[in-house]
Amino acid sequence: MTTAIGLAADGIIAVGMTVALVSGGFDLSVGSVMGLSGVTAGALYLAGVNIWAACAIALMIGLVCGLINGYFIGKVGLNPLITTLGMMGIARGAAYVVTQGSPISLFGVPKSFEFIGSGRMAGIPVIVIFFIIIAAIGDFLMRRSEPMRKVFYTGSNEKAALLSGINTGNVKMGVYLLTALLAACAGILSLARFTVATPTAGIGAELRVISAAVIGGASLSGGEGTILGAVLGVILLNIINNGLILMNVSVYWQDLIGGAILLVAVTVDLLTHRKKIRKAKAVS
Amino acid sequence: MNRRQLAAGILSACACLSLSFTGCNREARQAAPGTQNPFVGSPNEEYYMVTFVSGIEYWKGCFKGFQAAGKLFGVTTIYTGAPQYDVNQQVTVLEQVIAKNPAGIAVTCMNPDALAAPIKKATAAGIPVVTFDADAPRGPRYSFLATGNEYAGSVAAKTLADLIGGRGEVIVITLPAQLNHEQRAAGFKKALQADYPDIKLVAVGNGKADQTEAAKVLAGYLQAHPDVKGVFCTDATSGVGAATAVREANRAGTIKIVSFDTDKGTLDAIKDGVISASIAQGTYTMGYWSMNFLFQVKHELVNPVEGWKSKGINPLPPYVDTGVNVVTKENVDSFYGI
Repeated sequence: MTTAIGLAADGIIAVGMTVALVSGGFDLSVGSVMGLSGVTAGALYLAGVNIWAACAIALMIGLVCGLINGYFIGKVGLNPLITTLGMMGIARGAAYVVTQGSPISLFGVPKSFEFIGSGRMAGIPVIVIFFIIIAAIGDFLMRRSEPMRKVFYTGSNEKAALLSGINTGNVKMGVYLLTALLAACAGILSLARFTVATPTAGIGAELRVISAAVIGGASLSGGEGTILGAVLGVILLNIINNGLILMNVSVYWQDLIGGAILLVAVTVDLLTHRKKIRKAKAVS
Repeated sequence: MNRRQLAAGILSACACLSLSFTGCNREARQAAPGTQNPFVGSPNEEYYMVTFVSGIEYWKGCFKGFQAAGKLFGVTTIYTGAPQYDVNQQVTVLEQVIAKNPAGIAVTCMNPDALAAPIKKATAAGIPVVTFDADAPRGPRYSFLATGNEYAGSVAAKTLADLIGGRGEVIVITLPAQLNHEQRAAGFKKALQADYPDIKLVAVGNGKADQTEAAKVLAGYLQAHPDVKGVFCTDATSGVGAATAVREANRAGTIKIVSFDTDKGTLDAIKDGVISASIAQGTYTMGYWSMNFLFQVKHELVNPVEGWKSKGINPLPPYVDTGVNVVTKENVDSFYGI
């Protein structure tokens, strides 16, 4: 159960990241937006704002980050790598500015807020429930809803999507709003969990989450991917790390072995995938 | 001679020095009334403190000590530094400070080699330089004032050992490949081996400078080693993560945590009892004695050997361990706002 709490934040971000990957882009700024939303909510609370209002404002700031990403990628037509890399720096820098570098401690925050980070309902941590609900809704919409179909079209063939009347700019705008909103949610849940907001929170989350989504079947070239797969990817990565710890692997070896296992897992997956395609072709 | 004795020796030497000076001064006053007190500077004298990532809270304590000493001498103290973690930027800032020809510079070095050249330049221009917190051994600085990290680790070991009754399994969460953190972990390990044969260090984890990651890592180790009784975190962020992991494993109270540094989150957690103790670095001490050293060299008050300047003799102790204090629930209130 403690492992489930640990992966909840990455899992929530992975839902948004999968949608971004399907649309043919990705979002490198999620870790920074997560950090920024946590410290914004924390700083506002210390300035006397009600904690829930502070969270709402922090989510809005997350959405502003997403809006800027979406505008430059969808409307101006900039490359997602450069745009979100820029936002990664901006949001992380803003977090440093807000905190002046030192962590913000929310000692004595209302119990109701602490509850969403460290409470339990029917024995299950609330933060894990949040993650499951977000993942379930995401997975359902991804399979069934019309806007998500548009994301798939945009990602698999943008020109065709444009010619068939889909406003791909708007689709991308929506995608980056979603990734930023979910990252901001993860930041606020982490704040509730630790009751301390550090400006360094979420460093490196973007690459962990992208690799989890790719392990789960999303394609870096767009048009492919499922939320369920990404969630399983996040779980796999955490199980690998947890396994290395349980087996008492030296801390100096952990990254090396973890990286090697990742490479092997993706290769095996790709090879079996290819075999299936070949068989399918042979049959037809 | 170990570091503690060295530090004690230096402090008593300083005390003797100042006593003898007050003695001289009294004689001087009797001999020629109106002669100036050697410990009075002028407000035109500017002493600079130069840091990197200059906005962080940690340096505030250092400058507070620097400022306090400057006030005693009646000189001007100025704080500046590179806002980012950027070597070029820090070298540029230091060069700009040197160009102003100040009375003295206390600098903490982001990179030991890159800062050596500008320090040489300052010394050549007759500006006394000391380093604090992080050194540039190849630069001709008069002294280096900092926390002895191995010693700090051994203090943490003693603190944790006392908390868990001298026996049981413990875990260290550190930041591998960062020298000061490795030294803290090494000092902790050595002290356990030397003095506490009944305590077993079962794992060393990577806190990754992120509370979410640190919590995840410690949660894993607690599964692997259910009998763990204590955790030492070599950085404050891991400390916060460890506190959360212990609470989520329903082990609050049964697992003792010793953390590092005194940011507000750590102090609040000590007050709350989630973290049992933290190791506070002597940041005020670094700044206070840096200013004292610079003033003494600038005013040529310290003369172990006649004409030391031309003979290449260092009049100051080359290294000062500024020591650590253990913060607990009893004394936590005095550490807020340092």
